[in-house]
This record gives sequence, C-alpha cells and structure tokens, in this order.
Amino acid sequence: MRHRYLSFAAAVAALALTFSVSMKVLSAQNAPNTAPARIDGKPNFNGLWQALTGANWDIQDHSSEPGPYYQLGATFAIPAGQGIVEGNEIPYRPEALEQRKKNRLNRWTADPEIKCYMPGIPRANYMPFPFTIVQGTTTIAFAYEFATSNRVVRMTNHQKAPVPSWMGWSNGRWEGDTLVVEVTGNNDQTWFDRSGNFHSDAMKVTERFTLRNPDVIDYEATIEDPKTFTRPWKISFPLYRRLEKNASQLEFKCVEYTEELIYGHLRKPTN
Amino acid sequence: MKHRFLITAMALLIALAAGSLLVAVPIAAQATTQGAAAAWTPPKTPWGDPDLQGIYTSDDYIGLGMNRAAQYGNRLYFTEEEIAAREKTIATTAQRDAVEFATPGGNVGTGPPGHWGERARRSPRQTSLIVEPENGQTPALTEEGRQRQAMYTRQGAGTARPEDSWEGYTSYIRCITRGIAGSVIPVIYGNGTEIVQGPGYVAILQEMVHEARIVRLDKSPHVGSNIKTYMGDSRGYWDGNTLVIETKNILGNKTGIGGNGGGTPFSEDAKFTERLTRTDKDTIQYTMRVEDPRTYTAPFTFTFPIRREPGYQNFEYACHEGNHGMMNQLSGARADERAAAEAARQNR
Repeated sequence: MRHRYLSFAAAVAALALTFSVSMKVLSAQNAPNTAPARIDGKPNFNGLWQALTGANWDIQDHSSEPGPYYQLGATFAIPAGQGIVEGNEIPYRPEALEQRKKNRLNRWTADPEIKCYMPGIPRANYMPFPFTIVQGTTTIAFAYEFATSNRVVRMTNHQKAPVPSWMGWSNGRWEGDTLVVEVTGNNDQTWFDRSGNFHSDAMKVTERFTLRNPDVIDYEATIEDPKTFTRPWKISFPLYRRLEKNASQLEFKCVEYTEELIYGHLRKPTN
Repeated sequence: MKHRFLITAMALLIALAAGSLLVAVPIAAQATTQGAAAAWTPPKTPWGDPDLQGIYTSDDYIGLGMNRAAQYGNRLYFTEEEIAAREKTIATTAQRDAVEFATPGGNVGTGPPGHWGERARRSPRQTSLIVEPENGQTPALTEEGRQRQAMYTRQGAGTARPEDSWEGYTSYIRCITRGIAGSVIPVIYGNGTEIVQGPGYVAILQEMVHEARIVRLDKSPHVGSNIKTYMGDSRGYWDGNTLVIETKNILGNKTGIGGNGGGTPFSEDAKFTERLTRTDKDTIQYTMRVEDPRTYTAPFTFTFPIRREPGYQNFEYACHEGNHGMMNQLSGARADERAAAEAARQNR
C-alpha cells in the first residue's frame, strides 16, 4: 500500500535535489512557525521528515524481485534499490550469517514489521513513513507514524537503559551542530529490513543528525554489536522534509491489520 | 512491563468505575485553572512559549469518578475534613504497601498486590472529574448515543462472549489505543504523560499503549474530513499561558470516556478542546471539553491536575508486542469449549 507511494516519493526526492533552492522558499511559506534557524544556539530539526530509500526492503544493494503474492502482480513486487550500508558489506560473524540466511528464507512470516511491532532504531528512520521531530532544549521527541512508535532523546540527565526495549533508550549530545544520539537497551526482536538483517540485544546504535540545508538532514548511524558483527559498520542516507502543502503526520495504528494473522487460529469456529 | 497483569487490572478498574458511580463529586474546573494560573507565571522556552515540558502523572486522581457522588450535590471541592480523612486512608494504604512479608497464616490470595498498580500520593481536592455541567454528571446520551452504547455492549466489554474473537474486546485490550479521552483519564497505572515542546510544535507522549500526539501550533488547517484516525487531528495555540488544543477527525464508534477509552463510543463528529495550564513548578491543570451532539445531549468538561513527582518516569509500553493476555484469553476459551464438547460426548 505504502509501496506505490515510493515512486511518487522518488519523484519528490528528485525534485528536492533539482530545485532545492525553490523548495526551501516553499517550505518557509508553508511552515511559518518552525521559524528560528537555531534553538538555544543549536540547529532546528523540528518538522516532518522522511527517508526516500528502498532500505526497508533491504539495507544492502538489491535487484528487483517478485512479491509474496503473484495475484498482486507489479503492485507489491520489490523494486531494485541502492543500499544504505557503507561499503555495502555487513560484517556478520559466521554463525550470525547463517541466521541471517534463515531469516531471509522466512522473511514473509518472520519480519516483525508484519505483526506491527515497533521497528526499533535505526529501522524506524528509513521505513516508508514520515516521522516528526519535536526538539526542545533538554529533550527531543521522535514520533514515527508507523505503529505510533516513538522515543524521547534525553539531552541531559543521561541514564543507563533501565530495561531492554523495542525502541531502545536514547541519550543525546551535541557535537558542534551535529546531534549525536546513543541508543542502547535495544532488545533482540527487531530487524533492520524485510530481508532478514538482524542484530542482538548487545547492539548499540550511535546516530548523527546534521542539517545539510533547512530541508535535508544527513543521517548516519554506526552499528556496534560484537555478538553479531566482527566490527562496527555504518549506514547513511538523507532525510527530507515533507514539503507538501499542509503535510501532516497521520496515524498508522496497524495492530488491527495483524489480528487475524496473529489470533485467527483462536477465533471461535462458526458451525 | 505491567501488562501481564492486564486482566487483574481490568477487574480492579471495573470495580473502581462501579464504585465511582456511587461516589460522584462536584468541581469548578475553569475557576481552579484560571485562578491558579493568574497567581503563578510559568517560565518561557528559549523561543518564547510558556514552558510545559516534563513528565507528569495524574496518579493523585486515581479512583475519583468522572461523575460526582450524590452526597456532594453541586459542591465542587472536598472540605478540609474530607480531605484529611482521605489523606489518612492514603497513609494507611502506604503503610500496608510497605509490608514486605505476609503474616504467617494470613490470607494471602493469588492475585498481585494492589501496590503493583500506582497509588495516589495525596487526596484530590475535586469531588469529581466532571465540572461542566455544574452537577458534575455526564450529560444524558442522545437516542443515537444509546443505540451506539447498546451495540458496544453487545460487541464485548461486558455481556455476550467477548472471548469468541479479539473483536469482542476493547481497543485497549487489543492494544490499539485508548483514544483521545481514554489516554488522559486517570486509571490504576500507566498515567504518565511527557510533554516535549519545540518552536511550532508540542508533543504529548502517553506511556500506556505508547501514544505520541503531535500538536502543530502553526494555525494550519485540519487535514481533510475524509481522513479519520483514532487520536484525531490536533491543532493548538496559546491563550495567554494556556495551551489550547482542538482535535477533530476521530474515527467514530471506537473509544469513549470510560476507563481506558471504554464506555459509549464517540461519534466521528466529536470535537475535543483541551486546555493545559501550568499552575506551579510541578503542576499542570489539564482540562478537556467534549462536544459530541450525536452522542451526548450537552457538551461537558472534565479536569484534573497532572504533576511531576520525584523519580517518576515513563517506560516503553510495548502493549501489542507483549499481548499474551489476548492470546491466553482466546486459547483458554477454546480449550474450555473443547473440554465441554468432550464432556458432552462422554455423557451421551
């Protein structure tokens, strides 16, 4: 459903790149109150953002493939996509690579996205849904449209993650004009994409948000998980401001679209 | 984290709700809000908005009913004596909660102890959450509202056999949402609300079922009327030091003002106006006015304070991800049915 929107999104991205100057002007007109370029001396990240990559299918380079249901023809087939992994290589440990292969074989049932589970970080940032950043001075809220998942980045009073969780525990700091967020306390239930790339509960994600211009954030994340990978590795992609007139974050509470799948076998038989 | 105990919690909640119907209380919310607000000036954010940021809980109003108990009539506040009596009960409860071991030979039971939920730290001053109308009672349902209530009751949340299917349970038990009103009204736990502000935005994050409402302050129009969502479409503005939020476009026939969003569901034409006023360093007076002429014969307003408490914070509430309660209720019901069928076969 979201997917057909990808080509439209790609068009918007192309436009944004080609006409970034005029888009900037538009953005200023559409959002009169996101005004200040800086907040308390720091860059202003407030607004509605979205990645325009095919990374939710596979964070690595991938060719096009058929979708899971031939009846849906081209609409739910997988388009080719350029990955977001630096060097395109994910340094799995040998046993983890075996697991990743298994995950891929089982992807149409095992991907946690299917069940509307919170996507975790970093995946939430490149799913084909927008998210809103509300940036205060001591806290920064990230509210994702998918499954109403969210997190609050603590810029002060940093804490150790109290318990493992789906969206992790985010402590933030500024390095110059770059917002750096360390996400720990991640559980081992989330995946990086629909192709079975995964991690353990030892994963630490260090995100870096840098404004390229008022409508583009350069996003980068370093993944460290010695239980799964032989070395740290990086992903990067731009986040684009949604510039449509009156672009608003909507709601995708997907639980009810998963209940037949999850509980269907427990429905009282009608006879 | 506390989810595994949803069933017990629900039972308690139903008991509380039933109790509160008998114990309604009166309130003059608007007066409270405005009087207190006038007396205290909140700090400002660096971009000049009143600063409401922080993590707050409505725990002190746990168990206070929406409707006022008959004995209080039109009286809005408890007397000092009534408050003293309630404080005494709170102190006794706290003492009981602190007991680590059961008395040998005592009656222990198998349910979780009450203090696994949250407790009020101090007595409410109000006699009911509802302050408009003056009698502190939820206005009567319209004919359409009554029909919707009847359908809601049939569908689950009470009579028939909700365990026939997940569809028989409320949006809350299904871990979808508690809806816009249900997400703020105090219940037995998970009452935390975190407010994060940025220029042009306020984010309201509620722990239970992990809600994240984004309120735009840019005077932009609401989204098109064909776009309906559980939590609706919110726009806000500042009225002096008060954040006013107007919400429309909710999905009709989903959630209401009962515990955790249960009760008679609102219509899709419902409109909600919230007012948040910081009245001192640690307190925000929260007010919601509901206008839903298809469901209620008159508009009504409820209000209560939410407070910052030392050490209180929000945790991730992965409700759907951990919804073993739903799985267990459905599989338990099917097992019962199989056992009954087997017994019937053997008796033939």
